[in-house]
Amino acid sequence: MLLDPAIRDWVLIPIMIVMVLVGIVRHQVTVLLNGTPKKADLKSARETKALQRCGILRAHGVHIPEHAFHARKAYLSEAFEKGTYLKEPNAGNKPRGNVMQDPAYVETMMDGMKKNMMNIVPQTVIMGWINFFFSGFVLVRLPFPLTVRFKGMLQRGVETHDMDVSWVSSLSWYFLNLFGLQSVFTLLLGSGHAADAMRDMQAMSTMGMGNAAGPNLTPTGQPQDMHKIFLGEKENLELTEHEWGLENVETRLLVKYGKKPASVLLDQKKAKIAKASGRLATAGSASSATVAAPSSAAAAASKKKGRRQV
Amino acid sequence: MVNPAKVLQDLRASAERKPDVVVSLGKPLIESGAVLKLDADAWLVYEQVAIAALDVGDDGLAYKCINALETKFPGSARVRRLQGMQLEAVGKLAEAGQIYKAILEEDETNVLASKRQVMLLRAMGLPSDAIAALVKYLDINYTDFEGWLQLADLYLEELMYSQAAFCMEEVLMLQPQNHIFHLKYAEILYTQDNIQLALKQYCRVVELCKDHVRGLYGIKLCASRLLKATPSKDAAATSQEDLEAMDLLATERLVVLYGAPGAAAESSKVAATKWIETQ
Repeated sequence: MLLDPAIRDWVLIPIMIVMVLVGIVRHQVTVLLNGTPKKADLKSARETKALQRCGILRAHGVHIPEHAFHARKAYLSEAFEKGTYLKEPNAGNKPRGNVMQDPAYVETMMDGMKKNMMNIVPQTVIMGWINFFFSGFVLVRLPFPLTVRFKGMLQRGVETHDMDVSWVSSLSWYFLNLFGLQSVFTLLLGSGHAADAMRDMQAMSTMGMGNAAGPNLTPTGQPQDMHKIFLGEKENLELTEHEWGLENVETRLLVKYGKKPASVLLDQKKAKIAKASGRLATAGSASSATVAAPSSAAAAASKKKGRRQV
Repeated sequence: MVNPAKVLQDLRASAERKPDVVVSLGKPLIESGAVLKLDADAWLVYEQVAIAALDVGDDGLAYKCINALETKFPGSARVRRLQGMQLEAVGKLAEAGQIYKAILEEDETNVLASKRQVMLLRAMGLPSDAIAALVKYLDINYTDFEGWLQLADLYLEELMYSQAAFCMEEVLMLQPQNHIFHLKYAEILYTQDNIQLALKQYCRVVELCKDHVRGLYGIKLCASRLLKATPSKDAAATSQEDLEAMDLLATERLVVLYGAPGAAAESSKVAATKWIETQ
């Protein structure tokens, strides 16, 4: 089988050129549409940072002494309870109005829609164009043999059983370009370009799922109730026990310099575990009166109770 | 041959402030115009060299860089902040303050401008105002450990040690692996006469950075003071036996460190030995 050179000149190369050009135009339009980035709001920044602060205290509290940890714990618990860090500290219990009337929310929605459209429209148009004019065309012959498995990938739109797999159909050429032109775009537009075809795929798969949601929106697109998050975080914080990393630092140092055998550290650890398990045992007996409640909450509560009684 | 653009880029990435190196590498780049071949990076180099030039007092170079940036990005907050720094460098503090204020009025979340404002207040000799501004800034930008460090310094200047200790605790949580911060915290604790806690922090310093001389001195100081004091009944306190071992260890390491050939000048060696003997 031979291919007409006119196919190369009038189909194969034009498809590629059109795809490159569309990619470049899309990059420029995206840059235009993005325009000025939205200004961050001081109060919402403070809100998220407060949560971060609590997380850091829970994760890295080992590095500060006991008294410092407890002072912070008490302060943050109180602040979260009262909602000091909330955007609107007093709006806690007010029912929220319709989200569609919140201009900030609508704006983020519109932004996401615009970006999605920018991604999907050009690809749909090109695919339609190829399907309409060149469906059933065979454009390229690959210079190497391939197994039959590749037939679906390379001969889409040409449903013949006995054609060799190394022939590529027009629609498959489109897909090869869609994924293969990444590095060409990087070369032309620099890294971080917006002509990314992979992004289209993502946009298509998450279309309508509100993937453009802002930081304070749940996946379903509803703004979250920050006060509830704060209260949850407060509970987490209160369940965190302080364990100071420097409790046996002297011994560790002496072991490090070889003044004490390393087994000392191991003995200390064992003693600590024994102490902790003893504490747990008392906690168990103390809370035996409590009837079974949802597992983790009950365990945590009994632990707290036990500690108070020990 | 080292590529100056590459070195500058590495310095930017590691946020090191080596103004002399930056100016010596960046000045020829900018004056020969080779900087423009760096494309998008060129403007970062301009900014970097401008700040470095202000640091070393090369006002002409700074002016050139900032002017170039101004023509490229007219009205940008980042460039205006550089202009504010330039005004600060020549001592026009009030005018610089105006610039920062204008930037913050447009965008209240501008971190660079709010930081400059704090430093401006400090430079004007208004530490309590600087503290208030910095506290407000840290309430929002909690994770900025450099801000906490700066606040600790300000409190130390005001002799407010417990507040400074608080700031250092925040720094320790944000940057737990840096022994210098542990050392600073230990020294604040020692000044507050919290010897037991200071000893633990000094131990941490030496644990993180082997044979840290200042940390060893701290251990030696704390251990000998605790040995002289009446033994504490507190269960969390270091045992007498451990204290003696620590004291011995610190002395031994210090003698070894100072005794190493070429480690220290003869005079400091003599002074160190004398001090150890008196303890």
